[in-house]
Amino acid sequence: MKEHAHNCPGSMMMDRRKDSDAAEAGTGKVRSQLQQWPIQLHLIGPTAPYYQGADVLLVADCVAYALGGFHPEYLKGKSIAIACPKLDEGQDVYVEKIKAWIDDAKINTLTVMIMEVPCCMGLSAIAERALAAASRKVPVKRIVVGLDGEIRKEEWL
Amino acid sequence: MDKIMRGRIKELIARHPKVGDALAEFGVACVTCAVGTCLLKDILEIHHLSPEDEQRMLTRIAEIVYPNRQVVIPLRKSQPEQKTGKLINSPPLLKLVAEHAMIKRVLARIPDMLRKLDLDTVEGRQLALASVDFIRSFADKYHHAKEEDILFKCFDGNLDIIKVMLDDHETGRAHVRAIREAVERRDTVAAVKHLKGYQKLLMEHIRKEDEVLYPWMDRQLSVTQIGRLFSEFAAADAPLAETRRRSEEFISMLEQRFGDAEPGQSR
Ligand SMILES: [Fe+2]
Ligand SMILES: [Fe+2]
Repeated sequence: MKEHAHNCPGSMMMDRRKDSDAAEAGTGKVRSQLQQWPIQLHLIGPTAPYYQGADVLLVADCVAYALGGFHPEYLKGKSIAIACPKLDEGQDVYVEKIKAWIDDAKINTLTVMIMEVPCCMGLSAIAERALAAASRKVPVKRIVVGLDGEIRKEEWL
Repeated sequence: MDKIMRGRIKELIARHPKVGDALAEFGVACVTCAVGTCLLKDILEIHHLSPEDEQRMLTRIAEIVYPNRQVVIPLRKSQPEQKTGKLINSPPLLKLVAEHAMIKRVLARIPDMLRKLDLDTVEGRQLALASVDFIRSFADKYHHAKEEDILFKCFDGNLDIIKVMLDDHETGRAHVRAIREAVERRDTVAAVKHLKGYQKLLMEHIRKEDEVLYPWMDRQLSVTQIGRLFSEFAAADAPLAETRRRSEEFISMLEQRFGDAEPGQSR
């Protein structure tokens, strides 16, 4: 693994080609577990039927690429929205939409999945702001994914 | 070894008492358990020892049961570690742990309270009845009811570990009935005996739940179940807000009257 110095750890270059060659890729077709459209947080309606009472994943854009088993292990049976806390505009709308999930769609749980790079914590902070503003309370879980696709940390907030 | 793994632990200990010591060395208190019908393989799962400790414990047991044979215990591949750092992490179970902390604050003051208890005085009877009220309304109705009606329902009711907990709840209720009767008869000796019995029972019961049962449950429950438990606990608590307020008041009163408990006893 080669690493290059760069100012921002979130966009620091890493070359992991050797590591991924060594790891065995699954064979056969992996079924998609996506059960809705759209998925981008700006595009979704927070009270859509598939959010009602659901276990919702709020996932940073990069996560599904890093995590080999994303569909069967995390997405299965859940509803989803994706966002990037570093590049997306208009993130106040995000807070409102998450709050509407909690208060109006009466979601069962919220799981925030982010990468281990520091700027990704922003998505967790947005979720926490929404939770603080909401009148209902729901359990919120944070899963931090490493650049190598391993789970770094998994905890209820 | 497979036969031992599928055998009831109490029977194994009866045949080989030293197995009990071997378990105790690794913090597994089957010897003092009243039921003891758990299978060794279930005990391994519930107590969640590290693979190394599990291997060492099973090797010790094998040496005791088969002293003349060489039994090789394979090192289990370590399971994905819990990455939370805490044994219990989910909000609904943490809520129950916080209720345990409230109950323990009362249990910690019971010895001091009993030293001065006299049921021939109005004050003594009031104190005993207030304790009974706390146990009934908070420990039992507010807390145990959530375990029995909601949490335990997520698991197979035939599991020994759940039966043990339900047995403890029943034994606790019997103590409470006896305390009430003793107050009516103004029988201080009997009231002291059953309050002491309740205190000892619940301290041990809460320790089992905090250290063994809840961490195991936390590992088993799905995200969906955690969400449901959270909202069902909130719905169960909502009509009992007054009970909670009264219980907090009782705890403060007890702490003021009987001072600080010995270190490590209160929470
Ligand atoms: Fe209990
Ligand atoms: Fe309990």
